[in-house]
Amino acid sequence: MHIPDGFLNNNLAGGLLAGALGMIGYCLNKILKSITVAVGIIAGSVSEVNLGSQSFGFSENTSKYFQRLTLVALWVFAFQMFNIPVKSATSAHLISGVFAAILAGPFAGFIIMSFVLIIQSLFFSDGGVLALGANILNMAFIGSFLSYYVYKAFSNKSRHFGVFAACFFSVMAASLACLIELGLSGSILFSTAFKNMMSLHFGVSCIETLITLALLKVFRSVNGESNE
Amino acid sequence: MNKKKLAFIIPIFTVFLASLFASKLPDTLETIAINYEFINKAKETSSPFSGYCFPFVENHYASKFLAGIIGLALLYVLFKITTKIVKSLAKLIYEESK
Repeated sequence: MHIPDGFLNNNLAGGLLAGALGMIGYCLNKILKSITVAVGIIAGSVSEVNLGSQSFGFSENTSKYFQRLTLVALWVFAFQMFNIPVKSATSAHLISGVFAAILAGPFAGFIIMSFVLIIQSLFFSDGGVLALGANILNMAFIGSFLSYYVYKAFSNKSRHFGVFAACFFSVMAASLACLIELGLSGSILFSTAFKNMMSLHFGVSCIETLITLALLKVFRSVNGESNE
Repeated sequence: MNKKKLAFIIPIFTVFLASLFASKLPDTLETIAINYEFINKAKETSSPFSGYCFPFVENHYASKFLAGIIGLALLYVLFKITTKIVKSLAKLIYEESK
């Protein structure tokens, strides 16, 4: 789903790139604020701070938290390299945005996905440099950040259902956003390609769900965490 | 085996498997671009490991594996640098606020 340079109108691609850089700055600032509070906790000057469900790393050890982010990023990069045949003459790879967001939280998940996309674009020509903003919007913002809140909304009763809903949203919404960007750029007529794009990605969302569930289980077990 | 080491070995092993077995078929967006005839709009951008290929290595599988390992190393370094910057900024902000 990595959009190369040339598919998008330069104005749209440039605007999205500026927005993506702003969001990276915002998310890094969020992480920085949490770390600053954690430094206070470690120093003993902050007695009671609620950092939410993603605070495990901060309160215990910030180094461990960052090691976890690095590990999640390595897993995302490696699994995105694996293209799987989905239909005749078509292949797909994982987005892994839900995997990153569940393990690291929405802000760090966005950073992980963005850093992976930046490395892929600059060093491997996987996605264009100018189109990086669009790819970050599709796979990091929609595919990870927003999908995290879908997971949160649906995981109250069953964590598996939450993962399913988030993965489905992640792939389908990201592909829809990609189609809208191509339509706005005049590369494709939105209405004619909609059915084809959605049906192709429906299969991908099923694969994404199954592999994400398996990866979460394996990641937690090798890191000595509970799967419940 | 140490579980921490295993967490690092799994992505390396996945890159190894991807270099051997990953599908070479066009991905979903390429398929759409081919079907709706706008694939020729794509501009080739030059990068050191374009198409996940390590330069000067003839063997396709070895070339892809090495490029993948370089990708993992680059990400590792990027996160190490970010960690250092964020941690030192956090300490600075905390000390100033005291």
